[in-house]
Amino acid sequence: MQLDTVRQEPGAALGTAPKHDELRRPWRQRFPLLPALVFTVLLTQVPFLMNIWYSLTDWTIVPPTPRTFIGLDNYRDLPDDQFFRDAAWVTVEMTVSAVLISLVLGTLLAVLLDRAFFGRGVARTLLITPFLIMPVVAGLIWKNQMFSGLYGVVNWVTARLGMDSIEFVSRYPLESIVVVLVWQWTPFMMLIMLAGLQSQPAEVLEAAKVDGASAFGTFRQLTLPHLRPYMELSTLLGTIYLIQVFDQVAVMTGGGPDSTNIPFFVYQRSIGGGWEFGKASAYSIVVVVASIVVATVALRVLSRLLRGEEIA
Amino acid sequence: MARLAGAQRGVGERRSVNAVLGVVAWLTALVFFFPVFWMILSSFKEEQDANTSPKLLFSPTFDRYSDVTGTSSGLLSFREAFSNSFWVVIVSTVVVLLLAIPAAYALAIRPVPKWRDVLFFFISTKFLPVVAAILPLWILARNFDLLNTRLVLMILYTGMNLPLAVWMLWSFFREIPRELIEAAELDGAGLRGQLASVILPIALPGLAATALLCVIFAWNEYFYAVQLNPANGSTIPIWVTTNISTRGNFLAKLSAASVLACVPVVLAGWLAQKRMIRGLSMGAIK
Amino acid sequence: MASVQFASATRLYPGTHEPAVSHLDLEIHDGELMVLVGPSGSGKSTALRMLAGLEPLDEGAVFIGDRDVSGVRPRDRDIAMVFQNYALYPQLTVAENMGFALKQHKVPKEERTARVREVARVLALEPFLDRKPKNLSGGQRQRVAMGRAIVRKPQVYLMDEPLSNLDAKLRVQTRAELAELQARLAVTTVYVTHDQVEAMTMGHRVAVLRDGLLQQCDTPHALYHEPANLFVAGFIGSPAMNLFACASGQPVKIGDCALDIDTATMSSLASFSGDRILVGFRPEAVRVGEGPLAAHIRTVEDLGAEAFVHVAFDHEGETAFAVSKMPAPFKGQTGDEIDVGLTGTVHVFDPVGPRIATGTAGFAPSG
Repeated sequence: MQLDTVRQEPGAALGTAPKHDELRRPWRQRFPLLPALVFTVLLTQVPFLMNIWYSLTDWTIVPPTPRTFIGLDNYRDLPDDQFFRDAAWVTVEMTVSAVLISLVLGTLLAVLLDRAFFGRGVARTLLITPFLIMPVVAGLIWKNQMFSGLYGVVNWVTARLGMDSIEFVSRYPLESIVVVLVWQWTPFMMLIMLAGLQSQPAEVLEAAKVDGASAFGTFRQLTLPHLRPYMELSTLLGTIYLIQVFDQVAVMTGGGPDSTNIPFFVYQRSIGGGWEFGKASAYSIVVVVASIVVATVALRVLSRLLRGEEIA
Repeated sequence: MARLAGAQRGVGERRSVNAVLGVVAWLTALVFFFPVFWMILSSFKEEQDANTSPKLLFSPTFDRYSDVTGTSSGLLSFREAFSNSFWVVIVSTVVVLLLAIPAAYALAIRPVPKWRDVLFFFISTKFLPVVAAILPLWILARNFDLLNTRLVLMILYTGMNLPLAVWMLWSFFREIPRELIEAAELDGAGLRGQLASVILPIALPGLAATALLCVIFAWNEYFYAVQLNPANGSTIPIWVTTNISTRGNFLAKLSAASVLACVPVVLAGWLAQKRMIRGLSMGAIK
Repeated sequence: MASVQFASATRLYPGTHEPAVSHLDLEIHDGELMVLVGPSGSGKSTALRMLAGLEPLDEGAVFIGDRDVSGVRPRDRDIAMVFQNYALYPQLTVAENMGFALKQHKVPKEERTARVREVARVLALEPFLDRKPKNLSGGQRQRVAMGRAIVRKPQVYLMDEPLSNLDAKLRVQTRAELAELQARLAVTTVYVTHDQVEAMTMGHRVAVLRDGLLQQCDTPHALYHEPANLFVAGFIGSPAMNLFACASGQPVKIGDCALDIDTATMSSLASFSGDRILVGFRPEAVRVGEGPLAAHIRTVEDLGAEAFVHVAFDHEGETAFAVSKMPAPFKGQTGDEIDVGLTGTVHVFDPVGPRIATGTAGFAPSG
């Protein structure tokens, strides 16, 4: 994908544009951008500034205390907050396992789907459906119908294999959530990897055939290196989205020590029952700062990917 | 030259390998689809059929659907939730397009200086955890009397989808041949004229895909909706959760509610399939 | 080194009605450079791909040497192919690209490196061995594609329009190098191109294809001087042969001037049953400035060493056009009224296609 160079102002090159137009033109060019830009800036920066302000106070609603300025006390208490650390750890576990497993599964599915076979379009449509299911519904369906200790389909299958019935969500909360996340995000990975496979020029694969490479050899030596930018992109995007998972946690486990990730934790501390606004704001700021660090790395990777010639 | 239909069976390759892989692909598709299939199946069951060991044979009924869509006082009704979701999604998507189309123009067709930085600013807003902003947003909503209204969700969903729409439209606009824009300019068309006569007609499929993706994300959104509208103005995702009851069996009803909730988005996704990848990858992949 | 044979080879793409290649019978001798030439859609690339094993055969067979390879995988056919867009492996260096096939066949590293180095030397690629394809120019990439094929020492080389992506000057230069290289290596080569100049200058023999059917397979000389049908006559040679539709009865008239045709040709004509024929003269047989035919000049293409003069005249009540190849310096201009004469080789065709006869002809002295 080529990124454009900035176009010359017509007229400026000829030196014949009138003076006042030269001043006005850049602003006329910027004008269509402003509504969207201003809207986004307001909607993202104002809450951020508010959070900073609240994080420097000891404001709580229950019990109600007046907002008094306490400086950086909330931040000083943070590293000792075991619950925050637990939530951070859960977030890492949840995100890394969901991203990695769905990436591997998605790549395998993409390889399967890349051949022509009967009813390929229908199979593909079926495969992307989990991604379209409302996350809340996905969480509820898996919890009550698949994983249920009493009526669950999974237990029905394992009973046939001679195993005991397990109440999955209570015994393995984090794993259950990860299963649902993988179920929903594998199609996403599959679509990106499929685009990667299809962007490989057919001629190169034919040349490999003529040169004597086996199917597996071609995949290992040529296709995988070709797919690398796509894997990076999908990992990046998947991480961005999965780090913020809330819905499935809320409806499947409602928190709990092993399955509370950062988003749910912050929610819990603020309007989800904790009502400790000052503290919650401090958490939010820390999370935002961490996100900015991750985002800077991510943006650099994304920028390199967009400039690269490998992506279609 | 990209491949379109994928690998065909090559000369000298065994027919059986191809057939086996096709079967494996189908099996996987069916396994992945199974929970959805089971959900649809359960929605047609009586509660006692749904709340026992998994059954495939039963006498189907539409009763659960009338159960969940009927109104009972005090509980959120399907009609109300659907109406809220519908308006919130439609209005926010329309506003998103109204904002994103000119923005994409200013980034793709007549790029402003530093257009790359602007694009990256938009995507960076996606990195910020939604949850971090909920407290200030809740306070603001309360102060402006916007809690439990549709308006607050319309605003937030617009903000949520705007970066995605700007990126998608930017990537579609970039594909319009420069000569067509220049021809329109020579004919005297300004921004509006160029949009109407050249850009929108060509980018129409991309526009549709962008709109569909915005609809999908807005419709499925739960977090903001449940934080800001727990009483009135609740949307479909919240309505689904109200179908869980602590007394009595609810699985079949929950399934029926889930099916109703998911149908619009699944259909939209199936339609937008081909172009979905562009939106999901922020325009990086065609 | 081996011969190649197509035996009634046919390929019909699923969903189409006409075969892309229809019952192709072609024999290519060991060490020969056979060019497959034709317009787009003629089936030449498909035929090549059938030989490579990238397209299956629906009917007929393909032989390399004595071996029927119709159902054999490409990698077991002992062939090497140069693709039109080079198909270089993007993530591998030039050296790795050229050594790729050897690596797949488990050639030991030392031998691989030595062979790659040797070929790189021949093709002047040594400075680029560590570069990746994206850092090479078009001409360099083309040579890497060639090198990748040469390193393998196969029985047959297949080349699919390898020069068509080069600019004109580089193409002419590379053409000569390629022909020289092939002669030196003496490996059977099947070469596909749409450019008839390339075909004529490079091929030991040339096979002309059209719409999946073989029109004629012959040496360039025979194709030029004894075209089998109208298509070949019009396709080979630039500018194209001048063709005039005439009545088949004696005397044959062009414009309102009678043609004096040699007796052998006349008797072939006499036994032709149709009442219309097409008479063909190549541009070098058309003389501008002397002759009985009154014409005017439409345009002159002055190429320095020679000029192509486009003329128009009345023939059978309508305007007919002809191109003449005149030596430099040519003095005429657009609009000039001049005389045109025909003298030299004449080809007579059945309007349906096949050639009836070839002989010599010119205008009779008296108009």
